[in-house]
Amino acid sequence: MRFTSALRGVATVAALATVGLGLAACTPDAPSGDGDGPIVIGTSLPLTGDFSEGGTNTQQGYEVWKAITNENGGLLGRQVDFKVYDDASDQNTVVSDYTQLIGQDGVDLVLGSQSSLLNIPASAIAEREGYLFICPSCGSGDMYNRGFTKIFFSQQSVAANQAKLFAEWIAALPEDERPATAAYPSLDDPFAGPVVDGAEAILSAAGVETVYKDVYPADTKNFDSIVAAVRDSGAEMVVQGAQFEDGVNFLRSMNRAGYQPDILFQSSSPTYGDQYLDGVGQENTEGVFFAASYTTQAATPGNEEFIAKYKELYDGAEPPEDAADGYAAAQVLQAAVEAVGSIDDQDALADWLHANSVDTILGTLSWNEDGSPKGDFLIGQWQGGVAQIVLPADVATSDEILRWRGGAL
Amino acid sequence: MISLIQTLILGVLVGAVYALLASGLTLIFGVMRVINLAHGAFAILAAFLTYTLWSWLGLDPLLSIPIVTVAMFAVGWVVYQLAIRHVRGRHVSMTVLLTFGISLVLEGVMGFVWGNTSHSVRTDYTDASVQLGPFFLPEAQLIVAIVAVVVIGLLYLVLQRTWAGRAIRAASSNESGALLVGVSVSSVAALTFAIGTATLGAGGAMISVIYPFLPGSHDQWIARLLAIVVLGGLGSLPGAIVGALVIGVGEMLATSYIGASWPVAVPFLVIFVVLVLRPQGLMGTRLREDAVA
Repeated sequence: MRFTSALRGVATVAALATVGLGLAACTPDAPSGDGDGPIVIGTSLPLTGDFSEGGTNTQQGYEVWKAITNENGGLLGRQVDFKVYDDASDQNTVVSDYTQLIGQDGVDLVLGSQSSLLNIPASAIAEREGYLFICPSCGSGDMYNRGFTKIFFSQQSVAANQAKLFAEWIAALPEDERPATAAYPSLDDPFAGPVVDGAEAILSAAGVETVYKDVYPADTKNFDSIVAAVRDSGAEMVVQGAQFEDGVNFLRSMNRAGYQPDILFQSSSPTYGDQYLDGVGQENTEGVFFAASYTTQAATPGNEEFIAKYKELYDGAEPPEDAADGYAAAQVLQAAVEAVGSIDDQDALADWLHANSVDTILGTLSWNEDGSPKGDFLIGQWQGGVAQIVLPADVATSDEILRWRGGAL
Repeated sequence: MISLIQTLILGVLVGAVYALLASGLTLIFGVMRVINLAHGAFAILAAFLTYTLWSWLGLDPLLSIPIVTVAMFAVGWVVYQLAIRHVRGRHVSMTVLLTFGISLVLEGVMGFVWGNTSHSVRTDYTDASVQLGPFFLPEAQLIVAIVAVVVIGLLYLVLQRTWAGRAIRAASSNESGALLVGVSVSSVAALTFAIGTATLGAGGAMISVIYPFLPGSHDQWIARLLAIVVLGGLGSLPGAIVGALVIGVGEMLATSYIGASWPVAVPFLVIFVVLVLRPQGLMGTRLREDAVA
């Protein structure tokens, strides 16, 4: 009996010690603040799963920025490093990742994930913890209606306005040249939907009749019946809110159905460069419109350096748009930190960004009170296997605007 | 009427793709009582192998089917020997967890080898279609339908006309009885898993042509395939074929006549109704638990 009691006591003490050690391990590391060690920037990215395409590219953009920044002496005289988690394109995982990064790992700064779907919940964690949150791809309007004060989208425009220049150009065509009808198929996604809705609002006001509009779920593989319905609607123009695979599949289905409208706009898939070319075939890219935040031909500050470093790190490949967006997000963060002179005061960083603009490889970025950017997206079109910028005219890299699959429009 | 017929045609062709992919899954469950959640990942692996042969050697996916089938047979055999055999006969949760883990490992390996970017195999028939009056029949899916008939036909012949097939069927219907008559059930199980995985040689090859894919694409397939084999009756090859056609046609009809956001929901509603009325599935067999040794 006495031995059993002693044993029980020892076990209790051991259990309490174990719990104590565990709690100690859970205590967040003290942030480095204005110390001497590297500045650690935390981020969670979809490196696997449905969004791995964009997540991988975004990480590349962050890595290029890190390489260039460290070569130039770092940030505030300190080297920078990233702590990256893979959220597997899952909203629950991205929440726990940012909770871990901020609460357990004690990172100095954070950068956003890839896609509005992930950044909406991720930014809520950052805002709750008082961290500045700059996201490279969070164009959904749902990001900016929550009263958050420390979120910033590091592209030129939110989703609803990304096709604005394209829609305005179509609307301004003479009536006999303007398409009379349009179809709006869209991925069920907080980014893709608003792009299409924004374009439809402008085009409808100009008299372009909506003859098809529907939303398909993310795991839609076969688009033959959707395309058949779009074809049967008689739409002369298609404006698709697409991510990547769905855009490729949709275009392939259009070919199989023998459906060739004069104008085809896809929101994101054409920005994936060689992967889009390989997916749909070069002849099918000819004349496809898309909204773009970036072009390798832009004469923006740091663009040449970014392209050169990207090619050095990634086997000579041309940087995709998501990599450029990631790089620009890091540029925005860098500008704020260098202007404020500290990484400790997240409020000061946010206040500085609200009051100033930042020159990035995407152009000059500035923000509204809610963190949404002011500005217009570029409108691109694939021509001869090259993604050209066609609108606005003052930054266009091509004088032509084509029909889908060739011929002047 | 034209629209309806076109929708039915597309649905049957999509169903052929599903049938080709689901045949191995239902075979594995029927014999081994293993719910193979890695089946979708194996299909994507086969697609990547096909892509590699195409990009390195210019080999058409149809011609690569024999090569990839042999490779997938070997992969299935190895995976069974290393992992599956240790949990065969245990509680179903163990096989579910194990095969789920295998799918994640495969995804990681594929991502490491091929990268987490989208891949496609483009051939002359990727975007082509056969025009029959007002109807279009996608060429790639027509080819899949022919391949599915051949592969499933071969599978049927193996099961019905070969000694190995008889052994597989014996082990499937009564493992104890099969043991008593001299069937090596463990070898039969390994053979079944390998054959079930090998059928993805054709399925994965055709996926690579019809859809872009990346390592994480497997989770979009496995849910659909599981639904198909459940609808058709677990372990029933004819049931898997019928289930695949029902799902394929159901998806296309739902898209055309209800809305593009319904194709996922409507087939599962059909499954729900069928299982309420017929729990063993369309062509499954009701068994007493104590009769399954």
